[in-house]
Amino acid sequence: MNAQITVEELATLMRTAAGVTVAPEELLERGEAGGFEALGVDSLGLLGIVGELENRHGTPMPPDAERCRTPRQFLDLVNSTLMAGA
Amino acid sequence: MSEPKEARAAVTGIGVVAPNGTSTDTFWKATHEGVSVLDRISREGCADLPLKVAGEVRGFEPADTIDGRFLVQTDRYTHFALAAADLALEDARLGQADTDADPYAVGVVTAAGSGGGEFGQRELQQLWGKGSRFVGPYQSIAWFYAASTGQISIRRGFKGPCSVVASDEAGGLDALAHAARAVRRGTDVIVAGATEAPLAPYSMVCQLGYGELSLETDPERAYRPFTEGARGFVPAEGGAMLVVESERAARERGAEVRAYVAGHAATFTGASRWTESRAGLAEAVRRALDEAGCAPEEVDVVFADALGIPEADRAEALALADALGAHGTRVPVTAPKTGTGRGYCAAPVLDSAAAVLAMEHGLIPPTPNVQDVCHDLDLVTGRARPAELRTALVLSRGLMGSNSALVLRHGAAHAQQ
Repeated sequence: MNAQITVEELATLMRTAAGVTVAPEELLERGEAGGFEALGVDSLGLLGIVGELENRHGTPMPPDAERCRTPRQFLDLVNSTLMAGA
Repeated sequence: MSEPKEARAAVTGIGVVAPNGTSTDTFWKATHEGVSVLDRISREGCADLPLKVAGEVRGFEPADTIDGRFLVQTDRYTHFALAAADLALEDARLGQADTDADPYAVGVVTAAGSGGGEFGQRELQQLWGKGSRFVGPYQSIAWFYAASTGQISIRRGFKGPCSVVASDEAGGLDALAHAARAVRRGTDVIVAGATEAPLAPYSMVCQLGYGELSLETDPERAYRPFTEGARGFVPAEGGAMLVVESERAARERGAEVRAYVAGHAATFTGASRWTESRAGLAEAVRRALDEAGCAPEEVDVVFADALGIPEADRAEALALADALGAHGTRVPVTAPKTGTGRGYCAAPVLDSAAAVLAMEHGLIPPTPNVQDVCHDLDLVTGRARPAELRTALVLSRGLMGSNSALVLRHGAAHAQQ
């Protein structure tokens, strides 16, 4: 199994856990400017996304994950965590 | 130097999401036609519970009007509140641009009895079924009885005074009175009301402890207050939000004053102490009339609490006689909630909405499923009764002992006071 979290997976989680629908191909670009906040994902929404990822991958995420400002920062951090744990 | 005259609190918008209609127009049509929508409960997971009959809101699709961001973090009771607030603001012709112009001039007041029970049940099942890591973070806010006030104000960007009234079913009236007080103190607009969603397994189990709950399985016989067949009340979901606005602000923007919130009072007489509620309700009526400067004879219609427990029904009929004198046995009384069920805090707000609409249409809606009244009351049954209505009295009691009375005056009839 590929342990890396893709942009598509993040987009799906944003929809199910935070109720925010963004097309995966636009997610990184749109997320750069105003971060999760501008996309409509609030702090509890990001916390829910982190919790869901931890349950799916069976491994804790670093505390900084829920403080990431942009989707790109978030993917870089969680994927490096998953790589280190693999 | 004279004191500045206090702003009168006007009703300028009504938004209803009720078992008998998910818009104000459909609600009023079903209400004045005396349609009963009480039916067997169809919600998932409820079939094995002894409570069989309720007033369900069917055909309501929250996703049609509410953004996904708000849907994932809110319970059904807040979905009703967000939708009803939208309808009320639209009815008052207060668009987003209007309220954005001065967000501090607009606030929200709601009342809630049960909060977000269905959302809470789902997350607690995750907790006990899978573990704490599977409980979503929005559980922290969705169940809470303040959720609807918060979410309406966040979604609309309102920054004026916001509050939540937790005072039992009568809190629905207390919320409207609280809104009127905020308006008199200088806020232009308060979106005020109550919605409830108590028809999910966990919430229903909580209600089974109420001795006043009707477990009758025949929808036509389940909720018949003021009759020999009274055997308790039927619960309901849904509710209403009203736009309560300063008369000055309404007139400045050319909005119609539909009614005035003229007087209110609340008392407390103890949980399920229905005989004692007679004195408490009568005192609430006296004080509400006094605040409104309204003589008993001026009351043209009473929207009764109508609990459906013989002792409570008798106390309410006697309270009206105590507070209104001989007029108490002559004034037309109605309880349209026998056709929709009793939505806890939402019930007296729906009655208030119906009272404003009744005054506008000159029509007292009937009390569905009720015939052969066994108290000394002129209860309107069968079909709506035409009448010139200038003043309505709305009554509410809570199972935990709160009693409230609200006096509403017709807008056009009382414009020149």
